[in-house]
Amino acid sequence: MFKAVVQDAKIWKNLLTAISTLIEEADFNTSEDGLKLRSMDPSHVAMVDFEWSKEAFEEYVCDKPTNIRVNITTMLKLLRRSKSEESLEISYDEERKKVDLTLRGKILKKFTMPTLESVEEEVPTPKLSFNARVKLMSETLKEIVEDSETVSDNISFKAKEDKLFVKASSELSNVGMELSKTDGALLELDIKEDSDATFNLNYFGEMVKAGSATSEVATIEFSTNMPIRLEFEMSQQGKLMYYLAPRIEAE
Amino acid sequence: MGVDFGGLIEKRKINLEDLQGKSLVVDGYNALYQFLAIIRGKMGEPLTDRSGRVTSHLSGLFYRTANMMERGIQLAYVFDGQPPAMKEIEIKRRMKIKEDALIQYDDAIKRGALDEAKKFAQMTSKLKDDMVEDAKTLLNLLGIPWIQAPSEGEAQASHVVCKNDSWAVVSQDYDSFLFGATRLVRNLNITGRRKLPGKNVYVEIEPEIVELRKIIDDLKLTREQLIDLAILLGTDYNPGGFKGVGPKTALKLIREHGDLLKAVETMKESPNIDDLFKIRELFLNPKVTDDYELKWRKPDPEAIVAFLVNDRDFSEVRVRSAIERVSRGWEKSSGATLESFFGS
Repeated sequence: MFKAVVQDAKIWKNLLTAISTLIEEADFNTSEDGLKLRSMDPSHVAMVDFEWSKEAFEEYVCDKPTNIRVNITTMLKLLRRSKSEESLEISYDEERKKVDLTLRGKILKKFTMPTLESVEEEVPTPKLSFNARVKLMSETLKEIVEDSETVSDNISFKAKEDKLFVKASSELSNVGMELSKTDGALLELDIKEDSDATFNLNYFGEMVKAGSATSEVATIEFSTNMPIRLEFEMSQQGKLMYYLAPRIEAE
Repeated sequence: MGVDFGGLIEKRKINLEDLQGKSLVVDGYNALYQFLAIIRGKMGEPLTDRSGRVTSHLSGLFYRTANMMERGIQLAYVFDGQPPAMKEIEIKRRMKIKEDALIQYDDAIKRGALDEAKKFAQMTSKLKDDMVEDAKTLLNLLGIPWIQAPSEGEAQASHVVCKNDSWAVVSQDYDSFLFGATRLVRNLNITGRRKLPGKNVYVEIEPEIVELRKIIDDLKLTREQLIDLAILLGTDYNPGGFKGVGPKTALKLIREHGDLLKAVETMKESPNIDDLFKIRELFLNPKVTDDYELKWRKPDPEAIVAFLVNDRDFSEVRVRSAIERVSRGWEKSSGATLESFFGS
């Protein structure tokens, strides 16, 4: 059997929102240690890697590893009904092949949703080394993204010396930004090698906006013309990571 | 028409989503014929613009391609060149079918039998040169590559897949396997809800995939033997095949005798052996070209609107919304996939 209780349903709602920016349905891999979800978006340009250890739950029971495949959008639709100060219990009934979502507040509400047939989908393990690592407040990252979105569909990051340079440009206009630790915009900056890469803002923007709701601090890691890793730290024992392939301008 | 393997070949249903990120090479004539046959009005008449030019083929090509591109599927098209001389009988046969259908269509219209008329109308579809030119123009605007085959389009498409420049051939016919293609995707251009011809019944058509490897394993034949089997059944180069030989008999004959010539020796019919050799040769070594480049370019929205809306009377709202999907697809597929960076 599988049962997990989250003290604040809103946390789970935010996490699912963050996952749903990339994928419609996915497998939750549950085990004794906790819960994992790793899935690529349909075009294989981006990936979400999500982990929650059992300690992060109020209560967690899992007697054998199980793959529970659900439609994330459906689950999210049910969770949108949750209010603040409601706790959430997620349980899986193997016989009925249903997931029950129980919200406990003033009213006890139990939603039941179907699971989907699990597909044996090989999700590759990313083996990447990053030459630049930037830690900053989620709000700061969101601001950079929103500024860039006003002029372009792409965002470029360049890590050099003690600064992070952000650039977004279209045919007509462009925006350039400089962030450093000394100015207080960055929390940490490690550069092994000067790095420079460009990403699709439709993807990156969605990730940043959805991820920011789950954590106050974000870390981006990248290397020249390599995928970026975007991590949102959780106060509890969980992590939410995104990977996004770079845009490499041909011609 | 192509070879009819009957029930010998096993197909696997797939979802469009399974094709994400894959590059597919489409038999252009096959696709355009499908669009011309399917996309028709109440009386079975094709769609036209205000000056009477047929636009069914453009409508199909545009909206279907938009659907594919939106899903991150990379399409390329191949168009037929000069057919081999041996196809002449088949081409004449097809022309005759169309002429007969036209007479029956006129008759059905006169009698007011609309359902019947529609059925015959579909059989009258003729792909004219200017329609093919239209299609090429539209593909250029969409930034989709197309290849002019020196001879058979399916042979060229199979060649592209054999060279690993593309993942699968898209066609309704199975002939690409005779040309050596490793994978075939069927029903891609007609996926969705379809009315059965002549009946008031609807079916859901899903794309399906067929693999050469599996055919060869299942039937326990070599590719050469598969060609021999097809010749017994009848191909575009010997329509009708051998009298009284159906898929099961043909398979039995090839398995028992090893190849076509030995099988033929045991039969009453005495065909021209030279011709059989020539047909085999057409499949084994078809005329193809390496002179192509599969490069996807950014779609040109304003030029597409100018062509389809201003020139061919398409609805601007629908065209613009499809362009939106095409552009999103282009954005998606122009970025390399994550896997290409992993594990390095």
